[in-house]
Amino acid sequence: MGFLKWIRAKSPWILHFNTGGCNGCDIEVVATLTPRFDVERFGIIKRGSPRHADVLAVTGPVTRQVKDRLVRIYEQMPEPKSVIAVGTCAISGAPFIGCYNVHGGIDSVIPVDVYVPGCPPKPEAIIDGLVKLISKLRADQE
Amino acid sequence: MTAKFPEEADIVRKMKDTIGEEIVEAKIPRPRRILIQVRRNAFKKAIQHLTQKANFTHISTITGIDVGDEIEAIYHLSRDGKIELSLKVRTPKDNPVLPTITDIIPGATLYEREVHDLLGVMFEGHPDLSPLVLPEGWPPDVYPLRKEWTIEEIEKEVAKGGKR
Amino acid sequence: MPYPTIRIPFGPQHPALKEPEYFMFEVEGEYVVDVKPRIGYAHRGIEKAAENRTFIQDLYLIEHACGICSDAHTTCFTQVIEEILGVDIPARAKFIRTIIAELERIHSHSLWVGLAAHEIGFDTLFMYVWRDREIVMDLLELVSGNRVHYAINTLGGVRRDIAPEKSEKIKKGLDVLQERMKYYKEIGETEQTVLKRTAKIGILRPEDALALCAVGPTLRASGIKHDVRADDPYIAYDEIPFEVVTYDECDVLSRLLVRCDEMRESINIIRYALDHLPGGEISVKVPRRVPEGEAVGRVEAPRGELIHYARTNGTTKPERYMLRCPTLGNIPSVCKMLVGGYIADIPIVLAGIDPCFACMDRMAFVDVNKDKRWIWSGEELRKYGINWYQKE
Repeated sequence: MGFLKWIRAKSPWILHFNTGGCNGCDIEVVATLTPRFDVERFGIIKRGSPRHADVLAVTGPVTRQVKDRLVRIYEQMPEPKSVIAVGTCAISGAPFIGCYNVHGGIDSVIPVDVYVPGCPPKPEAIIDGLVKLISKLRADQE
Repeated sequence: MTAKFPEEADIVRKMKDTIGEEIVEAKIPRPRRILIQVRRNAFKKAIQHLTQKANFTHISTITGIDVGDEIEAIYHLSRDGKIELSLKVRTPKDNPVLPTITDIIPGATLYEREVHDLLGVMFEGHPDLSPLVLPEGWPPDVYPLRKEWTIEEIEKEVAKGGKR
Repeated sequence: MPYPTIRIPFGPQHPALKEPEYFMFEVEGEYVVDVKPRIGYAHRGIEKAAENRTFIQDLYLIEHACGICSDAHTTCFTQVIEEILGVDIPARAKFIRTIIAELERIHSHSLWVGLAAHEIGFDTLFMYVWRDREIVMDLLELVSGNRVHYAINTLGGVRRDIAPEKSEKIKKGLDVLQERMKYYKEIGETEQTVLKRTAKIGILRPEDALALCAVGPTLRASGIKHDVRADDPYIAYDEIPFEVVTYDECDVLSRLLVRCDEMRESINIIRYALDHLPGGEISVKVPRRVPEGEAVGRVEAPRGELIHYARTNGTTKPERYMLRCPTLGNIPSVCKMLVGGYIADIPIVLAGIDPCFACMDRMAFVDVNKDKRWIWSGEELRKYGINWYQKE
């Protein structure tokens, strides 16, 4: 189990999910994969299925349509799993607080480990959040 | 009507020739903008005139507004992408019904569905008024853009649940 | 021709947890026979919330309706409210607004080229384009302070000026970008990988485009020469010469080429605007209370015609604010394009109208002959398309 944890901390596999945001954070998450930012040098790889993911990177303010799906995706991820909330919407729902179709904040629906503020956060900030998460995973393992 | 904007004034004049008495109000606030309000009984005829005679064949969208006892639907039409004409028509809120225009402008289909979702207007003859933007499980009769539904009341009602 | 493998629906099915699909496809073997859109993934309730906020708060709310064309939204919002106020903004502000709007168009179109390349499995092109797109992101950050959501527009003008040194940097960046984009367009026109997946795919005849009220590059790729910047000019477009780009082949390749050429035009517009930037103020003061009135605003966002409508009642908050994003205008057209086509073409045809990609995450399929149903994510459908064409 210690060995598996070390492997996970070395190269976390990420599932990226948008819960109804404006796509601003999503394009910056995608930008982290591109040559200037190159998040893959940290061993971070994007996956398509929750069953293969260690980390769920969520953007958006959680619209009502998508809330159940977010919960299901989280439940389908194998343990140990972590969640990183990317962007101000994912943290608190702002600026959509007071919009009738928005839950507001990922942590009202699933537990969150790392919060990356910004509207949207720059790719460097997103990578910083991921690196903090990896450090946390490594520290937990020690 | 001002002669400052001849093309727009001509469009308004031709509409008056067709359905004169049924026009409640006509304005040309600036170049390339016309606002005309017609009575409901002349609405379909107005659309036919605008699309078939005046060449306003593009619909940009339909705005629905709660104006108290009535719901106002504004059809934003354009001609060659240039002149934008907003055709307004009102229908009583206790029984809001308008004829569909999808038989004349197929591109209006999703806009009618949206106004149906958010204000409860029934578009007679629309092939499929199923929900477009509101989520599954949204309580019936909660039309978010109606003034009587405040955000707090909407949230209370949605929290209670209830299938659509 | 082999039928697609019947897939087990993605994830466990709980009857109580019904999540609506965003597109429902009826298929017969390889072919799509009907498409039912059921969008609403990103429906947040912005229009209702706008009635409870002041105009300046609404400027920021509406800006966040979309992260890719946020400047188009604020340009339209300020157009509408300034018309009701009867305010004419300074000439310098008009030119600065135009420069940012065109920088946004370049960022949006190059983003699209990269994502379209990714959809057809051409990840090398995706990486190259997004690497070069960073030039435009740097320029946007230089001018506005942010890469996404520039908040440059305000009621009465713009918030920040463009100093001469910045102007020089912008021109240098555009020179590099122009060369790169020319190269990517060549790839689009000559690479077999691209041509196989885009030429003669997703046909939308001009008469259908007009009847279904398509907008933007989708409309212009079917030969229709409509562009709000030329037809219904706003900010500085009536003072700056540019071409409206159309192509006649009505396919996905045409949509790609329209966007490549529009980037070239945007670069020219920005250069002209910088060279002819008028002096003077960058904004005028406007009152908080907006008199009773109404106005319609139209803007050519990167994805097409954007329309806003406002009705005001003499208070500090609007009576009603309506916004219609261009993607909604293209959904009936994309449904038309998909019918009669292969399932394998769905990802690139959907991508061709440049939709908000959140709306494409979940697609349901029903095979009408076999009474089989299944659900695919966008990623699964993308992989299916790539594999299908590799076998061809």
